[in-house]
Amino acid sequence: MHSRRELLTRAGKGFGALALAAMMENRAAAGPTTARPPHFPPRAKNVIFLFMHGGVSHVDTFDPKPSLRKYDGQPLPGSFGEGLITSRIDFRKALMRGSPWEFHRCGKSGLEISSLYPHLSEHADDLAVIRSCHGDAFDHAPAIYLRTSGSQFPGRPSLGAWSIYGLGSENQNLPAFVVMSDGAMKSGAGAYGSGYLPAVYQGTVFRSGQNPVLHLNSPSGVSPESQRETLDLISRMNRRHFAEREEDTALDARIASYELAFRMQSEAPDAVDITKESEATRKLYGIGEPATSDFGRKCLLARRLVQRGVRFVQLYCGTNLGDDWDDAHNDLLGSHTKMCRKSDQPIAALLKDLKAHGLLDSTLVVWSSEFGRTPLAEGKNGRDHHPYGFSTWMAGAGIQGGRALGATDEFGLRAVDQRKDVHDMNATILRLLGMDHLRLTYRYQSRDQRLTDVHGEGEFTQWLLTNKS
Amino acid sequence: MLNRLTIALIALPASIYAGVPDQARLLLEKNCLGCHAASVALSGLRLDTRAHALQGGARGPALVAGQSSASLLIKAVTHADPKLAMPPGRKLSDSDIALLRSWIDSGAAWPSSAAAPSAAAKWWSFQKPASILSVTIDDAIAAKLRDLNLPPAPQADRRTLIRRATFDLTGLAPSQSEIDAFAADPNPGAYSALIDRLLASPRYGEKWGKHWLDLVRYGDTSGFEQDPYNLYAWRYRDYVIKSFNDDKPYDRFIREQIAGDELFEDPEAQQGTGYYCVGPNRDMLYKVEDINRVESLTDFVDTTSSVFLGLSVGCARCHDHKYDPISQRDYYRLQAIFAPFQKNRVFLHYNNARGYDLSENTRTFKLYDIGAEIMAVKSPYQDRLRQQKLALLSPEIQAAFQAGEDERTPQQKAFFEAYVKQVTPREEEVAALLTPADQDRLRRAEKKLVSLYTTYAPGPFSPGITDVGRESPKTLLPAKGAPVEVGPGLLSALGGQDIPEPPLTSPTTQRRRALAEWLASPENPLVARVLVNRVWQYHFGRGLVATPSDFGTRGAAPSHPELLDSLANRFIANGWSFKKLHREIMLSASYRRSSRPPLGAVEKDPENQFLSHFRRRRLDAEEIRDAVLQSAGTLNLKMGGRPVVPQLQPEELYGMSQPVNNAWVVTAAREEHDRRSIYMISRRNFRMPLLEAFDRPEGVLSCSRRESSTTAPQSLTLLNGEFTLRQAQALAAKAQSAADPIAEMFARVYARPPSAEERQTSAAFLTKQSSLAGSQGGALTELARGLLNTNEFLHVD
Repeated sequence: MHSRRELLTRAGKGFGALALAAMMENRAAAGPTTARPPHFPPRAKNVIFLFMHGGVSHVDTFDPKPSLRKYDGQPLPGSFGEGLITSRIDFRKALMRGSPWEFHRCGKSGLEISSLYPHLSEHADDLAVIRSCHGDAFDHAPAIYLRTSGSQFPGRPSLGAWSIYGLGSENQNLPAFVVMSDGAMKSGAGAYGSGYLPAVYQGTVFRSGQNPVLHLNSPSGVSPESQRETLDLISRMNRRHFAEREEDTALDARIASYELAFRMQSEAPDAVDITKESEATRKLYGIGEPATSDFGRKCLLARRLVQRGVRFVQLYCGTNLGDDWDDAHNDLLGSHTKMCRKSDQPIAALLKDLKAHGLLDSTLVVWSSEFGRTPLAEGKNGRDHHPYGFSTWMAGAGIQGGRALGATDEFGLRAVDQRKDVHDMNATILRLLGMDHLRLTYRYQSRDQRLTDVHGEGEFTQWLLTNKS
Repeated sequence: MLNRLTIALIALPASIYAGVPDQARLLLEKNCLGCHAASVALSGLRLDTRAHALQGGARGPALVAGQSSASLLIKAVTHADPKLAMPPGRKLSDSDIALLRSWIDSGAAWPSSAAAPSAAAKWWSFQKPASILSVTIDDAIAAKLRDLNLPPAPQADRRTLIRRATFDLTGLAPSQSEIDAFAADPNPGAYSALIDRLLASPRYGEKWGKHWLDLVRYGDTSGFEQDPYNLYAWRYRDYVIKSFNDDKPYDRFIREQIAGDELFEDPEAQQGTGYYCVGPNRDMLYKVEDINRVESLTDFVDTTSSVFLGLSVGCARCHDHKYDPISQRDYYRLQAIFAPFQKNRVFLHYNNARGYDLSENTRTFKLYDIGAEIMAVKSPYQDRLRQQKLALLSPEIQAAFQAGEDERTPQQKAFFEAYVKQVTPREEEVAALLTPADQDRLRRAEKKLVSLYTTYAPGPFSPGITDVGRESPKTLLPAKGAPVEVGPGLLSALGGQDIPEPPLTSPTTQRRRALAEWLASPENPLVARVLVNRVWQYHFGRGLVATPSDFGTRGAAPSHPELLDSLANRFIANGWSFKKLHREIMLSASYRRSSRPPLGAVEKDPENQFLSHFRRRRLDAEEIRDAVLQSAGTLNLKMGGRPVVPQLQPEELYGMSQPVNNAWVVTAAREEHDRRSIYMISRRNFRMPLLEAFDRPEGVLSCSRRESSTTAPQSLTLLNGEFTLRQAQALAAKAQSAADPIAEMFARVYARPPSAEERQTSAAFLTKQSSLAGSQGGALTELARGLLNTNEFLHVD
């Protein structure tokens, strides 16, 4: 108590960097996003979650199905389509459609990846593909909620929020959970919300431009000097107010939050300043090229943020009001060509760059979509939503890549072998972060709620880390 | 920690407490009702009520009370007669049979006709409150403090008190003149008069209505990808505000919301059923109608039990509740209450509503014609223009446009996308070409269009529900093998009964009516306790039970059990009046204590559970926004009506699921933008950044207690947001025109004069900022922006 008062008095004479740093450190001890030890030694310290918004066709990317070509134009045999429903097509009537893309065995491992991903194919040996993902929501918003929060209904905390709740963050001057999207999301902000967890755990949207955080800039017309004066006034008034109430840590925390905000004002623009990267690095990510510039920048920022101790970075590729994977409804070829062109090189660059910085071992990279797309055609050129079997992949965090887990049936309809639902995925991601999904709980409505609800027994961390197929 | 331990010790399995009759009921339930109940009554025998068991089936009475040896039931379960061996192929254990015998011999008491294990759970909250009326707030608080050897804090001064009371009851700050008058009032009844004045203010309903809207997960849109408008939800919001202002008795408020359609003729009361219509809903999604219906039923069961009973029954959807005596069957009995629901429009004025529908019908018909006329005028021009523009482009591109949408090659598609905007004629290009005759036609069409909307306004409807009729769809309990049908019933652990069939002439099932009566009954052990605890929490920042929506065995134990019971009893005795309850709480010495902890309090009671002093709080999201408007003198106190969509900056409108021009239709009347926050639109997929930053809940699940977080983005928003700047400018303008700008500023923000030191600090600040900002006005704006960000402004002592 005494030393803190002393510090405050010193800080009161202006914000001496030393006093302030000490004060912040002191405060950080109690902060909700302070770094906390995991349950087990972690494999990954950070997560970069690449969310392909709108639905990526698994049978055209990571799950080759020659039978679809063989029977192209025919309906499904027998009762294969029974019991499946989706947005627009009828599984009993629609026709099978072979992939217009070739699959190649890539890397030393020979992992099969389609020609949609020429750059990513070079990293095949890093990727552990899970071909047996499945869910039961075939509309975007419920499916996105499901993939991120484990529930089709909104209002539950997202994976990112749970991660911060469990582990905190190593950089208090930047948000612990950063989200970068292409704008309008079919799910709205609920996809990265904190649900019933305290709001401090929700994702903070980074926008493009020099000032990524909302309201980071001083109001227009207010000079930095003027802003500093005003902050000092707030601080002076607050300290006078606090002097008579110094048992109240909430007041103290609010005083600190303004200094934190001020520090964020300087640190966040620096974090997103990619002019500090070499020309070669920017080029690696495709920054400057029309197709790849936007997502390339996001991927590069993801690396820069992870480097600065940001725990969880969630990128979305695709938007409800512009280019989206979901354009595959009536144009599989065009949409997937475009979206892969947008994201392939940046993602490959991210893996390469993380490795070059020695960050890949401690960073888990997850690639996922809310569902796959029907192996059956929608109209002449499209594919519909398909949650019953689809692919995701993971890399980094000590994962043994170049392998595929599980399988869908002959036509890519249903996950049949090693079926993995979202809870298995999330339990695995938490485990890699050093957390036991059974022990990461939050009491709400009289239950110790979990990200994995009552599921997650299909956790597959061991498979990921052990090199056997 | 101590609490948790206590709970763990008390949370023994409910069945331990079950008496012989309960256990017998349990045996019948488990072993017999599959074939002998309302839905399936083999041999005409039902064993789900005492009357039916006594009456018996084809073979005669199943039991003779007092004579087990003469009872067919015993004959059957002992397998004495191979032709009548029950349950078939599976004999009960000897101890079970002995239990049934002794039960019948002792009279076959049927403690509750409920179908679930009616364990006489001994958990405190399932027992009726002790019939005590006499425990006063101050005695109860003082007794515990004595136990802790903690002296209570002294009474707060009047300036603190009026600010606390005014924010608590109205969500707004008192003005400096109100404070001065109260501080100077020599009348000993001044405080009591203050509370009466605040309770009579219409602002009271706006503040306390918001608490209720949090609980019932209110929103103006339905969520998910489309996030469509729930066009008339605001009628329910206004109904809630009015109910609080009218001090509607809580039992009446419950009846109106749960079963207003079945219980009252008055449409104003029926509006209460809007309760069911203001939550998230995905019925705009495609092919998920059945899932949506189940989600709605789940939402009704979960929200109703959590809001009114303070119980989470959700666990029992999939299995018997692990901690509370709520079986899966109980859960589905509750669900069956809502199973017959259908959406309903409450006609606030029957004739007007019919008239509205008629004119809407005619208007729509006319619209088709006007639309066709406009198209007919414009399309020849558009076609011509498009052709002209296309002709300027290369043949490949032209071909891309000529190809059908499905036939385009990827290259053609790319061309199409690249040029479609360029080729599409713009409105002004068409307008420039129109002949005078066509201009005239268009003008006439537009005039007709406008005339259709000169008196356009929402219809006299309110959202609500009612039943599909007297018959309900079946409710099935998932079970191994075939699902089992369950009838409607109330929680058996609380003594709830089966709900009987309605009279033949009833237009509804009357199931919700039974639920409403049961909830609103003085006999219900939970409802009044849960409510007084909520009110207590909103005043003191923490309930006597710290888990306000969880009074089950996993919830916190009450810190002052006798006080809770006494308050609940008095609440009922006082006609379920909220305002009387507020008075009682706020007139207590405990409420009036200073927020400075007395010596030893922080060590002995760090969470201030025992209220040695008052709990300081940060203003909530809506209070902050409203208080800023109030300080700036811009607050518009207009009440009710359609939700207001205030102007936000483009960067603030990020991430919505729908195009901003559809999802954020800014209210045309600017003066509406400065109304109280409760009237601002609450979209489920998007919260106003300022409100979101200060912990406004998502509005998806019931929120019984808001977070009060402290984050850097929060400070950024309040410091740098456009809203603060605009209001600071308005505040600065007001201060500038006053004789003493600094004093005016302090009066408006803190409702007090500045101290000499503060005056000096402020003056120095203004001098410095004037030179930096270049004007006195700019400097005052900075002073305003600064003060609006201070802890004194944002907290209530």
